[in-house]
Amino acid sequence: MKYFGGCDVGSTYTKAVILDENGKMIADTTIRSKINSEQSAIAAMEEVCKQAGLKDSKELAYLIGTGYGRNKVPFADENISEISCHAMGVHVTNPDVKAIIDIGGQDVKGISIDTDGTVKNFAMNDKCAAGTGRFFEAMARSFELSLPEFSKLSLTAKNVIPITAQCTVFAESEVITLVGEGKATDEIAAGIEMAVAKRCFVMAKKAGATDSITLTGGCAKNDGLKEAIEHVLKLKVVELKTDPQLMGALGAAEYARQKGMAKK
Amino acid sequence: MYVRVGLGPNAENRNFGGLSVKDLKHLIYFENLLQEANNELVQKARADGKYAVGYTCYFMPEVLLDLPGCFSVRLRAPRCTSPDIATYYMSARVCHYGRSLFERALEGGYNFLDAQMATETCTVTCRFQEHLQKKNLDSVADMDVIKNDNFFCEFIDVPFKKTENSYLHYKEQLKYHVLDKLHERFGIDSSDGAIMKAIEQHNEVCRLINQIGDYRKLDKPTITGYEFHVIQLVSLACPKELILPYLRETAEEMKTREPDERWPFRCKVVLAGSENDDPEFTKLIEGCGAEVVADRYCYGAVESRIPIVVKEGQEPLDAIARHYLDTSNCPRFMPQDIMRERKQRLADLVKEYKADGLIVASNKFCEYWSYERVINTVVMKRDFGIPVCSIEKEYINSASGQLRTRFQAFVESVEIKKIQEGK
Repeated sequence: MKYFGGCDVGSTYTKAVILDENGKMIADTTIRSKINSEQSAIAAMEEVCKQAGLKDSKELAYLIGTGYGRNKVPFADENISEISCHAMGVHVTNPDVKAIIDIGGQDVKGISIDTDGTVKNFAMNDKCAAGTGRFFEAMARSFELSLPEFSKLSLTAKNVIPITAQCTVFAESEVITLVGEGKATDEIAAGIEMAVAKRCFVMAKKAGATDSITLTGGCAKNDGLKEAIEHVLKLKVVELKTDPQLMGALGAAEYARQKGMAKK
Repeated sequence: MYVRVGLGPNAENRNFGGLSVKDLKHLIYFENLLQEANNELVQKARADGKYAVGYTCYFMPEVLLDLPGCFSVRLRAPRCTSPDIATYYMSARVCHYGRSLFERALEGGYNFLDAQMATETCTVTCRFQEHLQKKNLDSVADMDVIKNDNFFCEFIDVPFKKTENSYLHYKEQLKYHVLDKLHERFGIDSSDGAIMKAIEQHNEVCRLINQIGDYRKLDKPTITGYEFHVIQLVSLACPKELILPYLRETAEEMKTREPDERWPFRCKVVLAGSENDDPEFTKLIEGCGAEVVADRYCYGAVESRIPIVVKEGQEPLDAIARHYLDTSNCPRFMPQDIMRERKQRLADLVKEYKADGLIVASNKFCEYWSYERVINTVVMKRDFGIPVCSIEKEYINSASGQLRTRFQAFVESVEIKKIQEGK
């Protein structure tokens, strides 16, 4: 049996997946990224190889790197952009889904998927961190909450207090001001989720999302954001059977499987 | 021996895109000429007693600034990554290009200029040039930016339409504000004979650049987009008379240049958009696997290197006025038919250069291209079936990881479509 690997070195988390010849996921991991992308990739690959009973990643028939540090994955046969990998990851998980909003640590992407899992169209934010995972981290920090606690808090709001600043730095000071004014924290939190959802709306529209949509990346686990996106986009957000944070690594591993199997 | 400075290319990163073909003989020299507006050839021409005349926009015909006795320099601001002082005077919400030029001016980078010939075309470059005027009552501060006592700055008004009245108005503007002023201030001969001489020189530059650029139409182009971008830029940034021998030699060299056995790119693209005088941006795209085979942006060659034709009995200045209004594909022209022509022109370029897709890149806050980019992104795909990658960029931004991700994803999606179509 041959094994195939995908390693998604993100700015915040590094994810790795190993598939067998039939496309079955036999190992996966998610670790906090280190300052050095190569070290992150080594640590993640060591972990999945251990789970799969492999000595190291050299035993993989094909390995593909993706994500921000995609060209720093040791022993990778090639690297593919995370945009292509997320599309393929979602396609193999749920072929009915044709559009993705991927919210990673430092960027937001809207991706529409073709029938074969390739990218039909995509849109991506510019350099600023507005609406990204970093933005949520900063907002949760100003509430002195963890990300899951922040998400839960937003779901309890009956009203939404709009946040006007999209810039992470200014939004943080706006939130502090609102809290200082004694505004309800759950309503402020809901306002933050709504601000990000509106940014996602732009990306999804630019990418051409029409029917169903799903969320990938670390922020896909934020139920408050999911609800806000459903409200803004007027589309049902489809839940994936596999951890949405793993979609980049899974797509990379699937590309590795296709390329590795084609290689005699 | 040429000393490399600043953010210029270096020997370690020359093989972008995996290209292993031998460097063009003068490429390193050209790269070094682009490190500073006041480059070696500009200094030489001034030492020979010629007047340096700066400009920024296509609508200021460079050919008129290249009359015998003076020479044109299309201004750039290489190495200006953070125009903080200019931002104070111009606000953060105007394009980075205009601010970068002003920053460089404040740093003394354009003190070599004897004159600046400005156009009232896009607001930001117009504002930048207003700051260069010796007496500017509306400026935030009374600045004496260009440290040259004889320096002057003159503006022309450029029409928004292409009608007989527009040609006439434009021609009069060029006569009064350019020819007459150069004659009055520097004694430049602006007779028809002198203009014809300048046209002849200009057309030779055009022929050589086009001859070099035609190698980009080959199935396996023997020149990269980066190399061509550098060559086109030196033709804008250096005195024509002094750069011509190098261009002639490069055109000759191209005749025997062999392509790499293995084409090192994954697809070909046309690069369109707003102002772009940063060859590192072209290199960034090519490093992601897309060879840039044609360029339709400010400072590009598609329009600026069309030779000027003077018909029998036609006044040379009339020919110049018509040429520059007719050949421009600037989005400041907004009649529906002209807007459509621009799209068609891009589609024709994609076909002519056998490109697989189009990258549309506009500078952030660009007055005209911000909207044109959005429209192109939709229309070129919808009406012409051309894959489009739409980018909003800074003036200098070669180190952006997010841009790399976008270009790579675009290349991957174009490549897979090519494979599916059996190309």
